[in-house]
Amino acid sequence: MARSRTIWPVWLRRLSQTVFVLLFLYLFLQTVYHPVNQAGRGVDLFFQFDPLVLLSSWLASHQIAAGLLFSLITVAVTLLAGRWFCGWICPFGALHNLFSCWRSRRAKDRIASSAYSPWQKSKYYILFGLLLACALGLNLTGWFDPFSFLFRGTALVAYPMFDDATKSAFGWIYQADPAIGRFHVTSATEPVYEVLRRHVLATAQPHFAGTVLIALLFFGMLFLNLHRTRFWCHFVCPLGALLGVVGKNPLVQIQRNEAACNNCGACVADCQGGASPETAGGFKPSECFYCFNCESACPHKAIKINVLVAGGKQ
Amino acid sequence: MTNVFFRWIKHFFRPPEASKIGVTRRGVIIGGMAGIGSALLIRSSALGENRTFSPELVRPPCSVAEEEFLSKCIRCGECMKVCPTNALQPAFTEGGLGGLWTPILNMKLGYCEYECNLCSQVCPTQAIKRMALDQKKQVKIGMAFFDKNRCLPYASARTCIVCEEHCPTPKKAIWFQEVQVMTPEGSLTTVKQPHVNPTLCTGCGICENKCPISDRRGVYVTSVGETRNPKNQVLLDSYADGGGYGN
Repeated sequence: MARSRTIWPVWLRRLSQTVFVLLFLYLFLQTVYHPVNQAGRGVDLFFQFDPLVLLSSWLASHQIAAGLLFSLITVAVTLLAGRWFCGWICPFGALHNLFSCWRSRRAKDRIASSAYSPWQKSKYYILFGLLLACALGLNLTGWFDPFSFLFRGTALVAYPMFDDATKSAFGWIYQADPAIGRFHVTSATEPVYEVLRRHVLATAQPHFAGTVLIALLFFGMLFLNLHRTRFWCHFVCPLGALLGVVGKNPLVQIQRNEAACNNCGACVADCQGGASPETAGGFKPSECFYCFNCESACPHKAIKINVLVAGGKQ
Repeated sequence: MTNVFFRWIKHFFRPPEASKIGVTRRGVIIGGMAGIGSALLIRSSALGENRTFSPELVRPPCSVAEEEFLSKCIRCGECMKVCPTNALQPAFTEGGLGGLWTPILNMKLGYCEYECNLCSQVCPTQAIKRMALDQKKQVKIGMAFFDKNRCLPYASARTCIVCEEHCPTPKKAIWFQEVQVMTPEGSLTTVKQPHVNPTLCTGCGICENKCPISDRRGVYVTSVGETRNPKNQVLLDSYADGGGYGN
């Protein structure tokens, strides 16, 4: 597999993912008593653009919190253009993207862990089951909703651990007070600690009950990426499934030039969604995140993502 | 441009074979049965919708009634993150299987701050209803009870007024009765024995949180008297005006 140069839409996507991960972290840190009985504005922004939350709470309670109507924008965009949300916006997806980078680098393994698997349909069954349960008045969506999963894992597990580790580390440095000649290390670390304490760390170390299960699921899902590219997004995510159903006939399509293609498999090895960009019948729009990796990876420029309707009989 | 649009419309209604998700009948039936089954199992269990009136199921202030709460809460943890006292905790078994990871108050880890309604500000689904601070202060999330076998003025003939000092309601919900009791040395002494005024107590739990009997507190909060559940009441007058919010 010859490697070609990364094309600009890939860099744009990475930038977008970075921005939304930072936005998530910013809103996360704003979710505090700040400054007086006032949480930061719009801290539930990601949930408001999550149509799964809208649909499930409407099905289960027959009521809609007004803010959730923003998610109709997500639905509209997906209907027209496909699952860009998963590839460009979702911070949980970006996290899985990052962890997927550490899977085996051998070409054979990379293809095997990124090729389409029929098990990817399981997320649609999970979605269907959750929605039926909602229709019976029981809303278990939060167990699987990506933003709930991410926020819960961050707030109850990762953040308290980070808080503890940071405070301990700076505490040790302060107590040991190592010095190089007349230079004290604390004169460099204490200002950093001050900034962290003011803007990042919790006022008091947070403690939560029964977080072992949440931690196992959260970290487990991240480590499953070593086995399968974006495991969560391929097999579990009910929001991804919902967007897959909505965006299964999008305006934006992957076009494959069969004459130029020599079936080297470079596009499959880098595919984020398991959308099989290599098949003759056309890619799977319900699985594609429009990450542009296939187009970027193709050494023969045989793949293009285009605003056109391709494939099938016209 | 219009050409592309029309081709898309045509494509939308007659998509190519590859666009099919290809769900199988077997998968749909298994997923559907799992969904319906778990909903029915959880709803029909004894703990479902809090039929056992679990005393530990103290929900955040402004929470809607339990059945509606379970239909709205997505267990995202926003409220637990924002809670300034760390009182909001993910439930494990307190609310039954259907309540896994929903927020409950643990008064030993924190308490419900009287001057705070942050959880209602951040809840994305309004499972915790948005309420102005003045309104929130009227909401009861439960009620405090004294354990006379452990509370110092009752059990050990010692003076202790910590709970009353922390009680945040404008008129204190904890009041004292001065009683002559016998000390271990055999002499008589006067202590102030605390009582809860059930009409004033909001169940905020600061009394339980600050109680010096650290392991099992001399005063504790349970969910009874919560505004959101007209059936979970102690006082007859709360039945008389119907309980609940909008009466």
